[in-house]
Amino acid sequence: MNAEEIQAIFFAECEESLVAAEQGLAACRDGTHDADTVNAVFRAVHSIKGGAGAFGYVALQAFTHTFETLLSDVRDGTVPITEPLVDLLLRALDTLSDHVSAARGESAPPEDAVLQAELTAAMAANAGVPPAPAPEAAPHTAPHPAEGAGSDNGAGDFDLDFDLDALLDDISGEIAPKAEAQAADEPRWQMRLRPHAAAMRNGSEPLLMLREMGDLGGRCEACDISAVPPLDALDVGTGYLGWTFSFPASVTEAAVRDIFDFVGDDCALAFGDDAPMPPIRYPEQPAAARPAPAPTSSGLAAAASAQTPAAAPAVHGAAAAVPGSPASALAAPAAGSAPPAPPAPGQSIRIELGKLDKLIDAVGELVIAQAMMAQRLAGQGLAVAEEMAMIEGLTRDIQESAMAIRAQPIGSVFSRVPRILRELAASTGKHVKLEVSGESTELDKTVIERLGEPLTHLIRNAVDHGIEPADQRLAAGKPAEGTLTLSAEHRSGRILIRIADDGKGIDRERVFAKAVEKGLIAPDAVLSKEEIDLLIFAPGFSTAQQVTNVSGRGVGMDVVRQNVKDLGGRITIDSEPGKGTTFTLTLPLTLAISDGMVVNVGDQTLVVPLANVVESLRPAPNEVQGLGVNRCMINVRGRFIPVIPLARAVGAEGAATDPVDAVLIVVETEGAGRAALMVDAICDQRQVVIKSLDTHYRSVEGVAGATILGDGRVALIVDVDGLVSRSLASAGAATPLAEAA
Amino acid sequence: MSNPTRILTVDDSPSMRALLNHALSGHGFDVAQAEDGLAALDWLAMNEVDVVITDINMPRLDGFGLIERLREGSRHRDRPILVLTTESSDEKKARARAAGATGWIVKPFDPEKLVAAVRRVAH
Repeated sequence: MNAEEIQAIFFAECEESLVAAEQGLAACRDGTHDADTVNAVFRAVHSIKGGAGAFGYVALQAFTHTFETLLSDVRDGTVPITEPLVDLLLRALDTLSDHVSAARGESAPPEDAVLQAELTAAMAANAGVPPAPAPEAAPHTAPHPAEGAGSDNGAGDFDLDFDLDALLDDISGEIAPKAEAQAADEPRWQMRLRPHAAAMRNGSEPLLMLREMGDLGGRCEACDISAVPPLDALDVGTGYLGWTFSFPASVTEAAVRDIFDFVGDDCALAFGDDAPMPPIRYPEQPAAARPAPAPTSSGLAAAASAQTPAAAPAVHGAAAAVPGSPASALAAPAAGSAPPAPPAPGQSIRIELGKLDKLIDAVGELVIAQAMMAQRLAGQGLAVAEEMAMIEGLTRDIQESAMAIRAQPIGSVFSRVPRILRELAASTGKHVKLEVSGESTELDKTVIERLGEPLTHLIRNAVDHGIEPADQRLAAGKPAEGTLTLSAEHRSGRILIRIADDGKGIDRERVFAKAVEKGLIAPDAVLSKEEIDLLIFAPGFSTAQQVTNVSGRGVGMDVVRQNVKDLGGRITIDSEPGKGTTFTLTLPLTLAISDGMVVNVGDQTLVVPLANVVESLRPAPNEVQGLGVNRCMINVRGRFIPVIPLARAVGAEGAATDPVDAVLIVVETEGAGRAALMVDAICDQRQVVIKSLDTHYRSVEGVAGATILGDGRVALIVDVDGLVSRSLASAGAATPLAEAA
Repeated sequence: MSNPTRILTVDDSPSMRALLNHALSGHGFDVAQAEDGLAALDWLAMNEVDVVITDINMPRLDGFGLIERLREGSRHRDRPILVLTTESSDEKKARARAAGATGWIVKPFDPEKLVAAVRRVAH
């Protein structure tokens, strides 16, 4: 794993954290939060900060620090949760999201100075400790310098903390001169050390320190065993020894101190030839003392001689009390030790997408191989082999499992909606309540990634054009606040996503007028309600009176429809004047495999995506009506549908030319309504692995891709929408499909 | 000394776990990962380890709680436990100390220092 991969993990984690924070803050806003909600938000921001520091995203780190500090106050209850505060936190979250994008290199870093000041003000304002900040307040309001990348705190300041970080700076092999290297007659100086009795209970091992001192050139001159109790009173977990070490003059005191820095107050040190051995300290006594930086406490000598716990108070008194000593903190851990455990989140592992795609590819090949084998066995009269049925079932299982790995809950897309609505509320003044359902519905990762843009556009559109301003709503007897409902559900192998608003509905008169004005339809055209609604998807159509910065961004609803279509999906509208509009997106679960109908057309075999197929039928002679020279319509239960000879569209030879001799497949298209594809025969209905034609050949109009059939032949998958609208537009023109085949 | 030092890293952040893993595995340590205190306890119930490196703020069971639980039992009473966190306040350090942490490393960490720290506490 290299740095880039870890970075990718970090950004994925940022997304998750942002979602978690968003949800937590939403709960705070709705008043459904508890103590853990705030902590979860804190943790989310905190974890972004941690990674930001590690990867050196300074701006992101600085902002998360301020954000986190305020959240910490909120978590601790020193800042109450109020509406303005939640609003501030939500805005901070939006900016944080922008910072993350900036760190990814997707955008410029946001201007956050004002917001930072607001966040800081929120802490100070509620801290109850007006201007005169406590000493520790300063590092709270600004990024701690020591936390920047490459911190170098601790240089020179001897704060016997157990902060390993900075203090290990200069300790490594090469600066540990071997004792032999030292001149034998070099003058030596002495120091004494005594680990506290309880040092070993913290996992410290004094022996390791002694070894390090040895490596530095230190020599043990004496071991103080005066504290060792009689055998029957000896506790194996307690340290009783102290040592006197001597060092050559070339070894500095600081170098020796470094060894002990990280054990903090687990070990008392005394430097100088005449320094007394520090007294032993027992665990019963509050370990409040930091070892004195210089051997000044001669008074300790007396105490040292009485190696009993009773002597402890003298030590205590001689040393400066340190705030936040273990004694005072002892009560605190109880809070952190047993938080009510929420249900365990599902165990998960992260997989590199490339590996997954390889698996999906292999599964695709497996599906093909299985089909080929089935076909061969059938050729030898073994079609009913039981094992074959088992393999077929297993193949399907494997395929579904592999697809499920690529599937992600749509919640990751939905979770961005609150922010969009907040921004819209700010720019349009329309406050919209969001209702979401089915956010755990899973669909393919690629589909999810490409769904964001059309969904965003539809939501902007709903708020901008659908939902009325508050005064109009009140006049219409609706609540002032509009409602946007987002839902997702599985339905027969596809995903339905609905975006519904309770606004004014589509103004069909205006849409009609606009379409006429744009030259999209004739002024005297007679259109059904649905057809008028669909006009808003026509390229170049925009009903916004003036171009707003909300929906009038140059891209129209036609782009939305194109996006959805590219995903193999469909979009439909259901609008009722005064009540609202619902957009329904129907999307496939995956882009890699789909159900298809395998058909024969003359000398060619083609695949028609099942998603488009409505029905198939053999027409009776009286149901077919000629139209012009070589076009005809078929009457399907009183409705006339154009017949499109697939053979002509793809240039196949030897196909049936009379609909009565052929099979008609009625398909539903986006742009051209229903049509009937004329084929010779339907041979199979199966899952096909879609191979892109673009990558292997080039994009061909009317062809969605290719697949490999059971017998190993390549078959083209028909792009029904493209093919039908093209055929209807120019019946009998040259066929690009033919050249691809 | 023939067996590599076994380290359990406990952090709810996958990227931090990956960074730790990256920094430590490269130096011949045997690294296991847990995503929070409870997961760490589960793992430790079945596995042996030489050093534990833990984050503080984690869901379910935080670092303080983990250290306390480990110190309660005899098996991990002497286990070196390093605390790794961005929260560098004295109060937090004192709490970690009181819970029984062996040492403290501030995030973001320098990989070399981290390795030196682990070497230093590994028994």
